[in-house]
Amino acid sequence: MVNRRQFLKLSGVAGAVLWNRRAFAFDQPDYTLTIASTSLEVAPRRFIKTTAYNQQSPGPLLRVKEGVPVTIDVANQSDNDEIVHWHGLFLPPESDGAMEEGTPHIPAGKSARYTFTPEPAGFRWYHTHTSAGSNLKKALYSGQHGCLWIEPRINPGRYDQEFFFALHDWEGTLVGSDDGSMSAVYNYSTVNGKVLGFGEPLRVKQGQRVLLHVVNTSATDPHWLACAGHQFRVVALDGNPVPNPRVVTMLHLSPAERITAEVEMNNPGVWVLGEVRKHVQATGMGIVVEYAGRSGKPVWQQPQTLEWDYLLFGAENTSEHSAEVKVNTVPLSFTSKFVGHGAMDRWMINGRSFPDTETVPLKLGQRYRLIFKNESKDDHPVHLHRHTFELRSMEGRTTRGILKDTVLVKAGSVSEVEFTANAPGLSLFHCHQQDHMDMGFMMLFRST
Amino acid sequence: MKIQRTLLYRVVCFAVLFMGALHARAQGNYEIQVYGSPTVEPKTTMVELHSNFTPEGSTKTDDKTYPTNHQLHETLEITQGINNWAEVGFYLFTSWQDGHGVQWVGDHIRPRVRVPDSWHWPVGVSLSTEVGYQRSQYSPDTWTWEIRPIVDKSIGRWYMAVNPALERTWHGPDTNQGVGFAPAAKVGYDFSSKVSGGFEYYGNFGRVWSFSALHDQQQQIFAVTDLNVSPKWELNFGVGLGSTASTDHVIIKAIVGRRFDWGKRSPVD
Repeated sequence: MVNRRQFLKLSGVAGAVLWNRRAFAFDQPDYTLTIASTSLEVAPRRFIKTTAYNQQSPGPLLRVKEGVPVTIDVANQSDNDEIVHWHGLFLPPESDGAMEEGTPHIPAGKSARYTFTPEPAGFRWYHTHTSAGSNLKKALYSGQHGCLWIEPRINPGRYDQEFFFALHDWEGTLVGSDDGSMSAVYNYSTVNGKVLGFGEPLRVKQGQRVLLHVVNTSATDPHWLACAGHQFRVVALDGNPVPNPRVVTMLHLSPAERITAEVEMNNPGVWVLGEVRKHVQATGMGIVVEYAGRSGKPVWQQPQTLEWDYLLFGAENTSEHSAEVKVNTVPLSFTSKFVGHGAMDRWMINGRSFPDTETVPLKLGQRYRLIFKNESKDDHPVHLHRHTFELRSMEGRTTRGILKDTVLVKAGSVSEVEFTANAPGLSLFHCHQQDHMDMGFMMLFRST
Repeated sequence: MKIQRTLLYRVVCFAVLFMGALHARAQGNYEIQVYGSPTVEPKTTMVELHSNFTPEGSTKTDDKTYPTNHQLHETLEITQGINNWAEVGFYLFTSWQDGHGVQWVGDHIRPRVRVPDSWHWPVGVSLSTEVGYQRSQYSPDTWTWEIRPIVDKSIGRWYMAVNPALERTWHGPDTNQGVGFAPAAKVGYDFSSKVSGGFEYYGNFGRVWSFSALHDQQQQIFAVTDLNVSPKWELNFGVGLGSTASTDHVIIKAIVGRRFDWGKRSPVD
């Protein structure tokens, strides 16, 4: 007798199908997500009307096991077509959750079933993958995001507690910025949907080792996090273990980036874990860390600088590939086109905006080096679907061993990453800033 | 630049055709600017020099003011940002003219507040009030007060602003005239990220509810360009034409502004 899960695993079935609820009435999913409008209390008596999963934001934490097939039903009770992207997973185009790759959208009032085998292990997340345009309540500006933990086959479990944090910005307004284009500013910034002091504190005990999984779900803004009285030992970036875990005083996450870090709870008290930049913490981004048996006003120690360097976590040996590995290079130039002080810039990759961008053909099994040349005045957190890539060069400094699916390419800089084309079909590549991807910063790779 | 020249040529032709007879008399062309809704940021000071020259103005007056013909007005405006929705501006008005030399004209103070971005209003809205003194040789009304609502909006390459200002004289011949209506408006177009061009309109209709006769009204239209060369600089140049007897025939204006940030900004601020 083969059950559904075994069947899926054996057959390798993975996909997303629109379905009639009765058709699967006897086949219960592992998880159900309902997309609907809701009202979130982010601060005392401050409610935000948004669209979210299961009436909460972030949505429910999905815990799945590496290599074990999973079924997730998604009911779209919103007024808009929707789609759920499984960010950081190796999924086929039909279930990855991007219409540009071929995953079907979920019409308003309909449901879909996503079935897939979760890989790779580590901290992933899920979110809507729609366009917002000028509506700063839709798409990634909304509450449609949640954490996804793929339990590795072997988990050393070097921690006593683990917490998942989603950093988000709410109620955006487009305003003119110094560079002449428009960008979003926000009324509220939250950790797990609550402003500092409003949500439940992080309750810890002295001597514990706590594992934090942090994802920046903001539509547009990067975030810096510090924990007063404590340091972070970064063990994974974008869910992938780093070759060289290091202790740092603060974390930096661009939109869509994740960091997994250990914190030694060795300084009893009541502390603030919050945004380093004063004006962002003032809008709410932070959470109280409370040791057992301790009380009082949470203490914040204001850092005076912003410090972050991906390359700290790279392998010590950065030597090149052996001579046998042939790497094809794909140069990608990022530019913008001014379309008025009252409009968002148009974005281009190699001089063209999506959908007019070139679909770059890739050969399965071939190693490629993407050379990102950011010729614009904005930073870009660029994301490649269905793959992880290895950072190779950041602003002229070489590195090895850091595997990510999203990387920040700073304004005016050049970065290089490598990956092996091992996922047949279309793979979307885009800037994860909602306003940038909406304005053309997307392209496709086709692996055959 | 060709487009700008064409624009300027068209407005000059338009004005020449429709102005009619012009008998200008004195008016306060010291700060010729349509206000936008943004305020100066806190810890920032904006210093602007308004230079307005009247190549063709009044040559005689009947209210004991100096004729405006060939007057050069230099106005120093210093605006300090208070917070992210308020500022205060100070003005020092001067005039230079053959036979009179450089003269101090007067001073004004102008607090201004705006609707913060966090209110999510579909248009920018601000409210300015300006109080001040000017010498009787330059304005028969020496103490005046103005309240100026400001509404603006950028849509794509287009920018629109209206300033339906209300004026009140506290000392001078118009003290008993009640509230005057002096609207201003602007339409601009972004030719590029650095160069914008458009028109500014300035009017003074006289008393609210009882407008003056057309020849006593002041009606001006300027062809202007704004150069957005740097966030620190504000550059605006224009040529204006008066279309009623009470308006100066031709005025050339320039605004050169520079922002100064006070104190070292920390990256964590």
